[in-house]
Amino acid sequence: MSALLTVEGITKYFNQRRVLDDVSFSVRPGEVLGLIGPNGSGKTTLFECLAGLMPANSGVIKSNTKELPPAKRKEALFYLPDAIFPWAEQTVRWVLDFFRKIYERSEQDASALVEPLRLDELMKARIGSLSKGERKRVLLALGLLTPQPLLMLDEPFDGLDLRQTRDVMTLLKAHASTGRTLMLSIHQLIDAGRVCDRLVLLSAGRVVGEGSISDLQIRTRLPEAGVEEIFLALT
Amino acid sequence: MRSLKFRQLIAKEWRELLASRAYWLLLLMIGPLVGQAFITAVKLYAEASGSGAGAAALPQALTPLDGVLVPTFGAYDLAATFFLPFVAIRLISAEKQSGALKLMLQLPGSIGAKLAAKGLVLLAGWVVSCVPAFVALALWKSYGGHLHSPETLNLLLGHLLRAMLSIGIAVAAAALAESAASAAIVTLGFTVGTWALDFIAAGRGGLLQQLANYTPTAALRSFEQGLLRLNTIVVILVIVFSTFALAAVWLNTGRTLRHRLLSTLALAAILVVLMFGAVSLRTSWDLTENRRNSFPAADEAALRQIREPLHITVILAPEDPRLTDFEQNVLTKLRRNLSHLEVKYTAGSQTGLFEGSEDHYGEIWYEMRGQKIMDRSTIEQVVLEQIYKLGGINPPAASEEAEFPGYPLAVQPVWAATVFYGVWPVMTILTWWLIRRKVPQPS
Repeated sequence: MSALLTVEGITKYFNQRRVLDDVSFSVRPGEVLGLIGPNGSGKTTLFECLAGLMPANSGVIKSNTKELPPAKRKEALFYLPDAIFPWAEQTVRWVLDFFRKIYERSEQDASALVEPLRLDELMKARIGSLSKGERKRVLLALGLLTPQPLLMLDEPFDGLDLRQTRDVMTLLKAHASTGRTLMLSIHQLIDAGRVCDRLVLLSAGRVVGEGSISDLQIRTRLPEAGVEEIFLALT
Repeated sequence: MRSLKFRQLIAKEWRELLASRAYWLLLLMIGPLVGQAFITAVKLYAEASGSGAGAAALPQALTPLDGVLVPTFGAYDLAATFFLPFVAIRLISAEKQSGALKLMLQLPGSIGAKLAAKGLVLLAGWVVSCVPAFVALALWKSYGGHLHSPETLNLLLGHLLRAMLSIGIAVAAAALAESAASAAIVTLGFTVGTWALDFIAAGRGGLLQQLANYTPTAALRSFEQGLLRLNTIVVILVIVFSTFALAAVWLNTGRTLRHRLLSTLALAAILVVLMFGAVSLRTSWDLTENRRNSFPAADEAALRQIREPLHITVILAPEDPRLTDFEQNVLTKLRRNLSHLEVKYTAGSQTGLFEGSEDHYGEIWYEMRGQKIMDRSTIEQVVLEQIYKLGGINPPAASEEAEFPGYPLAVQPVWAATVFYGVWPVMTILTWWLIRRKVPQPS
């Protein structure tokens, strides 16, 4: 299958510290790809480099074999950061409406997200008054309203309780089934195993494995292993 | 970018502006500031016009521009220096600190379009804050006061450009600085720096004075004198566009530091070139009713016949009131009429008090076609005679131009205190409350 996005040799330094080391992998169309790794492994930095929000020291990103310069990235992908507090004084309804209008989405597209993300009781609230989990649900709605072929979500389950996590996983899978590609950065390995079709394992800024769980089980010679065991075996 | 999306950006920025406490504070404060200035100005104007049994000043000296408009609008100079920058900084820094910038950078449209939306909204916000000034003008008219539309509009334009300059500097500072506090320090530092430049460069000539002509205070001064100078407008617009371009360079976090530094250098080079180009624009319009920035029409026609360069050497210290007179009454007008005029300021001391007589202190030298004339007078007609002599031109006959009548008006500022100290603050607080009430507050 041809890749939607190919990442080749991304390296990033913060001063003298190398936080991404020759990162290469590919993203296939329509899949849910998990970028997994412990805190500090470079997941967010990689996402920001891919989105063109942070310059990489080296490496290229290709879309269908054509190089994708940083200025063109927003046409191909949308990155939803974790732990942001955008437009704290505005209501949830207004922020959703702003995204819907600027991306020319229908009102039905927006209202279809209200129930699964349980936003109806939050619509009149200000962003600044929301809890961490509520804010995460609103941000997910913003991400799902964007039209780019690839949506990158940084820690989409962070701050959600068990039931909300399960609901969001169902929503994301349904979203991917419409043909959109999702790339999720997840530090909870069990969550990653439940929602992702393929995984990219990142450790200390390096890719230590890429493939479906069965591919990785074969590679690690652990046929019954879960994501945690595979990750431990590869790092 | 399609206009529909730009409209969405404008709507978003307008909501963000209305959510800003700094903006409401600006609105709340501007009413009493304008009111205090207006009431004081009207009372002083009445005194000068002969109220309270005092002697009236010469009616020709009583112009509403100097007596009422400039002091009243002075409140906006204060607001543009101390309030507006914080409103502009908030619109950028809040998005940087909350992470909203990461979303904004990915939305459709260029970063330039997004900054343009912010700039336009800030300018619209400033126009709204000008309502008390319009109320003051209406009150003045209702008292029977005189307004000369061209000079009033010119003053409004000057304050609009002054506000644009403040917005531009604040937006660039907010884009460059890590936090809103740092941006505020940078902006105030810049303002104080321009004050220092204005003070140091006064009456010194050369590049320093050329530069000082475009500080916010100096640029505004020419509008306050009823002069519309093309070079001032162009230079301010060039600076404003440069500050927004600088903000666009530094908000684009996807670029390397090297790229941003090189872009900044390129921008600085373009700015210098454009400014030098703009400085050479000599077109200006005297929009005052009393034509204070112009010689009599016959003299202007005679001066236009002079094609040779005129060099003037002034041996007067910057603090000497004679130099101020000479600048305002003669040099400003000569610069508008002679295409090749060079002025040198050669006094050695700051005050003139300690200049030795051997230094020729107080002399003014005029040189044209190798001929030199010295005179000590700073009176307009005397100076013109010297120039005609050098240029070999017959002085024009004294013309019978209609004399400016002056507009004395001895009235008290009725209702002004109620409007500016009572109605305006109450209306502002009420509007703020009504807007806030639409959005539930956090529990």
